[in-house]
Amino acid sequence: MTDLFKKFTRIQLAMAGCALIMMICLTCANILLRQFGMPVRGTFEVMGFMGALIFALSFGYSHEKKEHIYVSILFDRFPPKVQRAARRINSLLTIVFFALLSFQLVKNALNLKAVEEVSETLRIAYYPVILVLAFGAAYLVLLIILELFKPSGDPS
Amino acid sequence: MSLALIGVTGILALLFILFFLGMPVGFSMAIVGFAGFCHVISIQAGMNMAGSVFWDVCSKYGLTVIPLFVFMGQIAFYSGVNERLYKSAHTWVGHIRGGLAMATVMACSAFAAICGSNTATAATMSTVALPEMKKYGYAPGLSTGAIACGSTLGVVIPPSVVLIIIGLATEQSIARLFYGGIGAGVLLTLLLTLSISVICRMRPEWGPVVAKRSLKDRINSLSGGAEMLILFLLIMAGLYSGFFTPAEAGAAGSFFALVISLVRRTLSLENFIKAVKDTLRISCMVIMLVAGAMIFGRFLAITRIPFDLADIVAGLHLPDWGIMLIISLIYIAGGAIMDALALLLITIPIFFPLAVQMGYDPVWFAVTITVITTLGAVTPPVGATTFVVAGVASDVPMTEVFKGVTLFLPAYLVTIALLILFPGIVTWLPGLLQ
Repeated sequence: MTDLFKKFTRIQLAMAGCALIMMICLTCANILLRQFGMPVRGTFEVMGFMGALIFALSFGYSHEKKEHIYVSILFDRFPPKVQRAARRINSLLTIVFFALLSFQLVKNALNLKAVEEVSETLRIAYYPVILVLAFGAAYLVLLIILELFKPSGDPS
Repeated sequence: MSLALIGVTGILALLFILFFLGMPVGFSMAIVGFAGFCHVISIQAGMNMAGSVFWDVCSKYGLTVIPLFVFMGQIAFYSGVNERLYKSAHTWVGHIRGGLAMATVMACSAFAAICGSNTATAATMSTVALPEMKKYGYAPGLSTGAIACGSTLGVVIPPSVVLIIIGLATEQSIARLFYGGIGAGVLLTLLLTLSISVICRMRPEWGPVVAKRSLKDRINSLSGGAEMLILFLLIMAGLYSGFFTPAEAGAAGSFFALVISLVRRTLSLENFIKAVKDTLRISCMVIMLVAGAMIFGRFLAITRIPFDLADIVAGLHLPDWGIMLIISLIYIAGGAIMDALALLLITIPIFFPLAVQMGYDPVWFAVTITVITTLGAVTPPVGATTFVVAGVASDVPMTEVFKGVTLFLPAYLVTIALLILFPGIVTWLPGLLQ
């Protein structure tokens, strides 16, 4: 089960990596073509959407690598039992927050779809990008739940 | 319960979650901010706010600058630029007493011009410079202290992720902050180098001299990192002239760093993939911090805490330098127990409006507090770069590394004092910006 999620995280990471390279290429092409009076239309818009995709698809990997910044000055001095209990509380709070966030993002995306909202320059529907962001938040929730059900129950 | 009291309770709850639950800083700020907003207004308003802030932060064009600059730094890191920069500095100043330690600080400073991460700089400079200084009999305290302190230049000298985040959080021009960071970074580099000179004058045995290299060797060594420094100059010139937006500068910088590494054949496919992975990991961490800080900031704004604080401070009738001294002490203490970026994001919504109301130049304030918080990266108990250096220098006890760092603390304090006394050090270059 865990291996399956790891593979899935790697697939998301590969997609995010491709988006990063595309962002670089698109921006460089825009800088170059701008000199000839032919800027790539909607570059800023697409860059923003790609940025959202990059972040959404990297949540799982960043969480897996425990990249986030912690303040461990006091926490590290607690006995292991207290640390475990604190981590469980912290995981539950995180699950609730990101689940609500994911739900809200889906709601926002569906609202935009209903009113046929499109981007300013390219006039394209961008609700799917919000859905990917919602997926990223939901995937994070899933990973934290999986950690809670690990035999050790220790998400550190 | 009054709004101010709710705000104070929120800040206390945040500190409790940070210190006692061990929750990531970004998540803590988001959760407390969200809960506070729900309490003050309504659950639906809180959910709407969190959803829109999260989308705005993740899809904001201005924030795409983060992965782009991080990627440029990672490419430089994995293609071994800092090793070449060190060799070049070594060839030029190695023959001076303490010259290898000075070369380390200079190489850190030059690498900081491409890479905004102090821990990445600390890790590689330790691997590159420590064996060399050990070979020539440098005192372990001096060599490890020079690396740990030199590495902190990464967040002061542009392009710095910390300055980018401050710029986005306070809606200031990133280009102006970058130019402000140059003055402070050069001053800190000079004072760190001067410290080594003074230390080696007092204790000559700590930094023995190395044989002088020929002029030909010196000139040849310049090719080692020259192209990356040209890249830095191109980026800064592009920002200066308005040719690039910061995000475009990051993309162009990444592109050219990649081209240079491929032409020089210094970047393998494996290292390229590592650079991409690290970029995504770091960028995601930063964006979570920013989103958390934005949500927390919205909560603080509705409680009016920053404005109340500004009124209280204004009522104290303290001189400007007195207020700045208090703020500096808070940042020094905070930096000692918390990561610089996290501390800045938590405190900026509180102190930045106060600083603006007091009439401080926003660029000067942002750069000065960045320098102050870098001090925390080398001092115990957090001291991230010191721990990285100590981890690599396995034969040097941790206490020795911290002692070495202590030798450089006067340089930081003098830098901070000079920045406060002569704000022009920071504001002069941004003032020239078009």
